[in-house]
Formats: sequence, C-alpha cells, structure tokens
Amino acid sequence: MIFLAAEPAPVNHPTIDLGCGNWCTFNYDSLISSGLSILITIAVAIFIASRLKSDRPGRLQALVEWAFSYVRVTSREAAPDATDYVVPLAATIGFYILVANWIDFLPITLIPNLHPANTDLNQTLAMGVVVFLLVQWYTFRVHGPSGYVRYYFLDRPHDVPMPWRLLFIPLNLIDEIVKPVTLSMRLFGNLFAGLLMAYVIVLLLGSQPYVGSWLVGPIVLAIWKLFDVGFIGLIQAFIFMLLTITYFGLAREGVEAEHAH
Amino acid sequence: MDHFAAAMIAFGIALGGGAIGAAIGDGLAGSATIQGVARQPEARGTLQGIMFIIIGLCEAMYFINVAFGALFVFAIGK
Repeated sequence: MIFLAAEPAPVNHPTIDLGCGNWCTFNYDSLISSGLSILITIAVAIFIASRLKSDRPGRLQALVEWAFSYVRVTSREAAPDATDYVVPLAATIGFYILVANWIDFLPITLIPNLHPANTDLNQTLAMGVVVFLLVQWYTFRVHGPSGYVRYYFLDRPHDVPMPWRLLFIPLNLIDEIVKPVTLSMRLFGNLFAGLLMAYVIVLLLGSQPYVGSWLVGPIVLAIWKLFDVGFIGLIQAFIFMLLTITYFGLAREGVEAEHAH
Repeated sequence: MDHFAAAMIAFGIALGGGAIGAAIGDGLAGSATIQGVARQPEARGTLQGIMFIIIGLCEAMYFINVAFGALFVFAIGK
C-alpha cells in the first residue's frame, strides 16, 4: 500500500558538515523547516498588521486582539515591570511555535527528509536557553547583584526559618537549571512522539495488506494528524508561551515580600 | 541479553510507567475541574482552559518518556 505522503522515519536527521567538526554540523532539515516557519510567521504578521483598522475591526483582528490581550494581561499579572519585553517575547515565541507545529498540515513531507522544526531537540533547546538566559538577566535586574546571589542561596523559601533554608540550596539550583531542559523536552517530546506515531501508523497499516487498508490507513493517519498537530500543537505552543511568562513571574519572588516588611 | 532486547524492555517500562503517571495526573485534573464546575457553574470556561493547560503539562511527561524510549530503541539499541 502506498500513502499519498509517505512519512519518513523521524529519528535520523540528515546532517550537513561545513568542515570543522561537531560545532558546525547542522541538521539541515530543521534549518529548512524552521526557516520556512519564520518566513510564514513574518508574512502572516505583516498581513495582519496591514489589515488592522481602528474603526471597523474584522473577525481576524478581533481574534488576534483577543489573543494578544490575553498575553498582555497574563504578563502584567506575572511581572508588572517587565511587560515591555515579556509581551513581545512570549507572543512571538507562542506564534512561531504554533506556525512551526501547524506547518505539518502542509505536505512538506513530500520533500524528502524534511520534518517539522520542533521535532529536533536542538531547535526547542535553543528557544529554551534563550528564555532561560533572559529570565536570569531579569532576575539579576530585579534583585540586584547581592540579591541575585541571595535569591539562590539564602532567600528561598521565605516561610522557612534561616538555618533550614540552607537545606534548600541544592533544590533551588536544580529547580533553576532544570527549567530550560523541561521547557524544551516537553515541546520536543510531544511533537516527536506525534511524528513517531504517524510513522508507526504508516508502518503498521502499510504492512498489513487486507481489504480496504488503502482506505483505512489514510483516514486513521488524517485523524491522528488532526488531533496531534492541530490540538497538541496548539496546546504545546500555548504552554510554552505561558511558561515563559510564568518564569519571569517566578523570578520576582521575594520582591513583594521585601517591600511588605 | 543483547542490546536490542534490553532497549525494547526499557522502552516498554518507560511507556508503561509514563502512562500510569499521565493517567493519574489527567484524572486528578479532570476531577478537580468537575468539582469546580459543580460549585461554580459560571466559572466553566476559565476552568476548562486551566484544565487543558494542566493536562498538557501532565501528558508532556509521558511524551518525553516516549521520546526517550524511541531514543533507546533506535539510537542505543542498534
């Protein structure tokens, strides 16, 4: 049985070596598909921005304004003094991840060896590390140089008396270091498992030549793609965006407590 | 035992354990949502949004397990 768009095995990324070892060997499929996603993101953003009308908002504008005001309200609640850069960062990351996930609806698998960008751990880890570094910078800015050290070693948790807080130092450090890892592994795991499932569906139904498998296979694959790409892709983009804002909010921990005393 | 069999067993354990955890987490999130809606029916929309976020977070652990299991089978077990 032959599917319209045969799914490639999602495990091996084709690499291109520029001739200087590990540090400039690239998974060029991720580069191509993420570049495609970036182009689509910019094009859609310019299209929406050119259609904005203040007197008669259309349906698209209402949807975009609703989503954007959600991001703005959430980040104002989490980190009131950082909305200037948290809102653009979180909105861009969320929208870009959504586009990069939903690009799987396009028949890009017809191009050999091309996977959606977020099925590569390098791609998601890059976004996770960017968010992590910005959160560190924000922590440093909010608490100051000495407060930054106390934030990890002496100040948390607030409701525990002083000698016992020393027991929490390793927990604080692990808590911080694990943030970019879970952020990127969550997105990567969801998208990768979805692609793996599509591959397994093609493998199973393609290897069993029973009556009507040419009809059942694509339907099962289409249902799975709708659920996985459409629903899980949306939820994961939303969660990545929300956690970005939440991490900025967590970095403020203790600022309000100091002012209260 | 060769590498591939060990990798398959590891994949099975990762799948099973992850499924148990994700199922418990989803069930807790769903039951809390039902209780919340029963107490405050007007908060249904908000609670459903939060429930989907929590379910996404719970399921993520399972999908990370699946990804690691595939890593065991395809990359290490070869």
